[in-house]
Amino acid sequence: MAEYSVVGHRIPKLDAREKVTGRGMYAGDLRMEGLLYGKIVRCWEYAHAKVKKIDFSDARKVPGVVKCVGSKDVTQRPYNTTIMKLLVPEVFADVFGEIADLNIFNPVVKHQGDAVCGIIAKTEEAAERAAEKVKVTYEPLPIVMTAAEAKRKDAPQFTPLKPGNLAADFPEAFFPGGAYGHNTPDGKTPAQHMKEADLVVEDTFYCPRQKQVQMENHTYIAKYDDRGRLTCWTSTQMPKPVQNLIAELFELPLTRVRIIQAPIGGAFGCRLGMIGEPHACALAMAVPGRPVKVEFLREEDWVASESRASGHIRVRAGFKKDGTPVAIDADYEVLKGGYYTHGSGPPFCTAAFMYGMYKWQAMAMRANIWFNNMVPYGAYQGYGNPENTFAVEQLVDRACNQLGLDPVEWRRKWHKGIGDDTWLKGVKFASCGLDDCIDKATKAIQWDKKKKEYAKMKGTKLRGLGLGVMQHTSGAWPMLLEYTNTIMRLNEDCTVEIMNSCSDLGTGGHTAVTQMAAEALGWPMDDVHLKCCDSDCNGFDIGAHASRTIYCVGRAVTQAATRLKQELINRAAKNLQVQPEDLAWGEDKEIYCTWDPAKHMNARRIAKESIYSFDDPATGKTIGIPGQIVVTGDDFVKHCSPPFSASCAEVEVDIETGEVKVLSFVNAHDIGKAIHPPSVEGQLEGGSQKGFGYVLTEDIYYDKNGLCLNNDFTDYKMLGPSDMPVDMKAILVESAPDPLGPFGAKSCGESALMGPIGSVANAIYDAIGIQINEAPITPERVLAAIRKNGGVKK
Amino acid sequence: MSNSRILPEFELLVPQSVSEAVDMAAQYGDKAAVLAGGTDLLIMLQKGSATSEYVIAMGEIEGLDYIKYGKADGLRIGALTTITRMVDNNTVKKNYPALWQACKQHSAPQIRNIATTLGNVMRASPSGDCSCALLALGAAVMLESKNGRREVPMDDFFINYGKTARKVDEIAVEIVIPPVQNGVVSSFMRMTRTNFDLSKVNVAVQLDLSGKTCNEARIAVGAVAPTTIRIKKAEALLKGVKINDALLEKIASVVSKEIKPIDDVRSTAEYRRDVSAVLVRRAIKACL
Amino acid sequence: MKKRSITLFINGEECNITVQAHHTLVHVLRNQLNMTDVKHCCGRGECGACTVLVDDDKAPGGRKAVDACMVLAAMMDGKRITTVGGLEEDGKLHPVQQAFIDEGAVQCGFCTGGMIMKSVSILEKNPKAKEDEIRSELEGNICRCTGYVKIVDAVKKAGSWSTKR
Repeated sequence: MAEYSVVGHRIPKLDAREKVTGRGMYAGDLRMEGLLYGKIVRCWEYAHAKVKKIDFSDARKVPGVVKCVGSKDVTQRPYNTTIMKLLVPEVFADVFGEIADLNIFNPVVKHQGDAVCGIIAKTEEAAERAAEKVKVTYEPLPIVMTAAEAKRKDAPQFTPLKPGNLAADFPEAFFPGGAYGHNTPDGKTPAQHMKEADLVVEDTFYCPRQKQVQMENHTYIAKYDDRGRLTCWTSTQMPKPVQNLIAELFELPLTRVRIIQAPIGGAFGCRLGMIGEPHACALAMAVPGRPVKVEFLREEDWVASESRASGHIRVRAGFKKDGTPVAIDADYEVLKGGYYTHGSGPPFCTAAFMYGMYKWQAMAMRANIWFNNMVPYGAYQGYGNPENTFAVEQLVDRACNQLGLDPVEWRRKWHKGIGDDTWLKGVKFASCGLDDCIDKATKAIQWDKKKKEYAKMKGTKLRGLGLGVMQHTSGAWPMLLEYTNTIMRLNEDCTVEIMNSCSDLGTGGHTAVTQMAAEALGWPMDDVHLKCCDSDCNGFDIGAHASRTIYCVGRAVTQAATRLKQELINRAAKNLQVQPEDLAWGEDKEIYCTWDPAKHMNARRIAKESIYSFDDPATGKTIGIPGQIVVTGDDFVKHCSPPFSASCAEVEVDIETGEVKVLSFVNAHDIGKAIHPPSVEGQLEGGSQKGFGYVLTEDIYYDKNGLCLNNDFTDYKMLGPSDMPVDMKAILVESAPDPLGPFGAKSCGESALMGPIGSVANAIYDAIGIQINEAPITPERVLAAIRKNGGVKK
Repeated sequence: MSNSRILPEFELLVPQSVSEAVDMAAQYGDKAAVLAGGTDLLIMLQKGSATSEYVIAMGEIEGLDYIKYGKADGLRIGALTTITRMVDNNTVKKNYPALWQACKQHSAPQIRNIATTLGNVMRASPSGDCSCALLALGAAVMLESKNGRREVPMDDFFINYGKTARKVDEIAVEIVIPPVQNGVVSSFMRMTRTNFDLSKVNVAVQLDLSGKTCNEARIAVGAVAPTTIRIKKAEALLKGVKINDALLEKIASVVSKEIKPIDDVRSTAEYRRDVSAVLVRRAIKACL
Repeated sequence: MKKRSITLFINGEECNITVQAHHTLVHVLRNQLNMTDVKHCCGRGECGACTVLVDDDKAPGGRKAVDACMVLAAMMDGKRITTVGGLEEDGKLHPVQQAFIDEGAVQCGFCTGGMIMKSVSILEKNPKAKEDEIRSELEGNICRCTGYVKIVDAVKKAGSWSTKR
């Protein structure tokens, strides 16, 4: 493997120092002259109600109130928070049934926390006090929480655009039979194949409505200035698409909308598309010339910003006696929440990742997505894959157990690899390091030794081991558009500025992109500066989602670097009067002629003369080649180079209390090439914390009126530092570099969350011999399952 | 539901002595809330689950931050003694393991750094960890008013959810725990969703094992009724007998029957019933 | 009183201000004194993003970690308060800050300030704190990015530096 001078090195993250000193300025830290405070008035009392009347009379009396903004005072244009419509061909959006059903301030509240009106005041306190004094009269509507309730003929209708409350499904035009998957070449469906299976395992799994819980509350500052330009400081994951969405919503040309990226205090998908930007901008437009800050409270986060999809997925999987995977057939009934937003996106990916993992002869998954009065789901690290992982990884282990097969060997034998379809039909895996991941993970956890030991365990605390594998994606192509534009500009001192709009969610993305640029240039890190993101100067990029930063932006910057170096060679060739092919790069930016070392020049001179180019007073000849070198790197990659991973978990189950403790955990990840290894490890470790949460503790709970019961840290429980296993290993597997990834790199971000889901669930199964098909696997559920089974089945 | 993380306005009263605080309590009665550590009160004010025109902040009163132990007097804990102070105190650790465990497992370090042990009792939450341990230890709360002091045993202290025997003109100044006797042991256990959490069930047990049999037992269980409660039927079973596994099973089943847990976001009634029994059994075993 | 004039010694500087009785310390630090190095997240003493050090004679090291959202500013009269912005000395990072950088313990950075202040207090209490102690003492500071692995490593590393010195 090539040795690199920057890539793969454990350098400090570029933004680390400003963060350890507290000097990093997030959107909420920005101070501006004349700053006003906006407050979104939300409906806390009801999950479903008509807004009959809004009375601002008491609110207006609060000292410091500047303006009360009702639903009629802002644009009436409905919108959709997502960028889905932008990133698929128009015809697809129509077939999928994309709709815009959300208003800035809504006349009908469709979930608790829906925005009703707004307040602008001189202080945060005045804004909040006035918000408390707004009197909203509601007419409560019947609550719809379950799919069954949404389907009823007399159910209240969420939008005339979707009669019957079916927000989305897999449309027949793209998905024959409403299913994603494939039949065998003879046309036989999975259901028909099941008859030939020796064993069919089948169950319904509940997938929880997990929340991203980024630490920085959603915060925005917006200003509508004297030139009629609307500027929004936001920690969005997608500055450029949000610029587009805001422009469309407020009917402004892009020249009059500016998005400035503030450092992001965590995202994990919750800052994909728009959340509070429309409200901040609408309030700012109500007070032209004044910046308005809107900061969500922590408890608003759970009710007003999108979560993960939840619902019930029924999966049947058929096997031959020897373990041959015959077919898999699934139905997913999904709860959309009050608005369309991501529609069929996450459930589609559940199906796609189910398709991408194992060599089923035939596969089908159908999904029905029902409106209900929960917070809408949107994007969350993993985007549909946790649901697939929770169900399928458990069913595989159940089948292996019933067939007397080793679940490790089964996975080794039947996982997809090079030449097979990835998660999308027709796109083939170009690399696969999963076997290596399985080897390393099982070895690190001492699989064979512990497995034997634990099989004999007796008593009230039983231990088990579990393996889970997954495959994911690098970028969203071919489901969504993949495009990034990078501008690379050579300064007169021969350093470069890179302008790219892809955000860094704190993952180290910008450090890694800078490393790749420096490596591709062959120059030191200090000679490269990545500027992100001000929509006024940067080109288009989709933003940080779908684990695309390293893969897609990395490809674009290396391409730009190559172009920039070529331009330097071309100019040197002219100057030295040789052919470009005759030139090569030496040390310290020196360019020399391969057949005559006497002919050489330094790139610094070319850079300087590209700007400071004068006519020689003696000869009248122009010195150097004038014109600053600016190149672009464009990438429309037509692949998604999926990474794989294998995770092993070791758990202890207290069979008297149902408590599960994760004792050790290993995640071996097929990374191709780790550009910035500490960041990759950080992704794996951090992803694990959320994966443990998915499988063990996290879900949003609602009461019978649809009101959220746990919109705070008191009752939304995530694993803390003392809950996490002390023995945790992140193994970076670099044995399968991807031919399309920059330096062979594949993604690691979203993929990290799935590791614990299958492995922990299977470890619990190994420990007590019972599978728990509802996540999170709480002690209550474990104990109830043990009771139901009349004890453990060991 | 709160719409603000800024507290509502109130008149702040900052007594410099207990007698000043007592005067203020007498003057403002139920219009005033008492703030010691404040970690519960500030949240309640913010959420609107408590309202108060006046807040009597005890923080500047000298001489209320103490842990004193005497063979005759037992343990005395001042009103401003933080939970951290309890965790760092060897006397507490050695003599009152149930209370020490409760303090150690209670909340996060920076909350323990300001929250007071007495404050946990005054909150009268059925899930209060210190409350649970103190009830098992047979502690009492010292209340002071213009009429003087009175000592209310923990057994009579909790009236209902969030309601204590404190009268509005009284200020709680001290926790009193009887001195330890030879052979008296205690333990505390709790069940939570994650380590840093409110208890979904907590259990504290004190046993007098000075003789050949168990002379006396006190069992307190929290988060299974509107207040922390004692399981007197189970205590009676322990009295004067030798503890064995069969007895523990019997006690466990009594515990399940005696409690009245509810379903809430933290757990289910059924689970609490099952697990309280397990925890009581384990807590007793931990004393043996 | 609805307002109180108090003196705070913040990061070594004396600061005489009048605060509203109902304002918490984090509110005053951020909104009145513009100290944005202290982050405000949950406001309920759960997440630890606003952790600062406040002097406490009886605490080892003479100061303790406190959630700035859980104390009234008016009751802080005369106290010495250290925030993450006050840890550097003559441009040199505090060992805990340096260790956080070295170990890659910083991701989005929003919890980092509070996390560092808590870590400083842990090591002031016990420079030889072991893994288990560090982990249980870090409770009350939520990080959603790192899984705490590199944070714990950073605290261990900073501890090893201070015990060597």
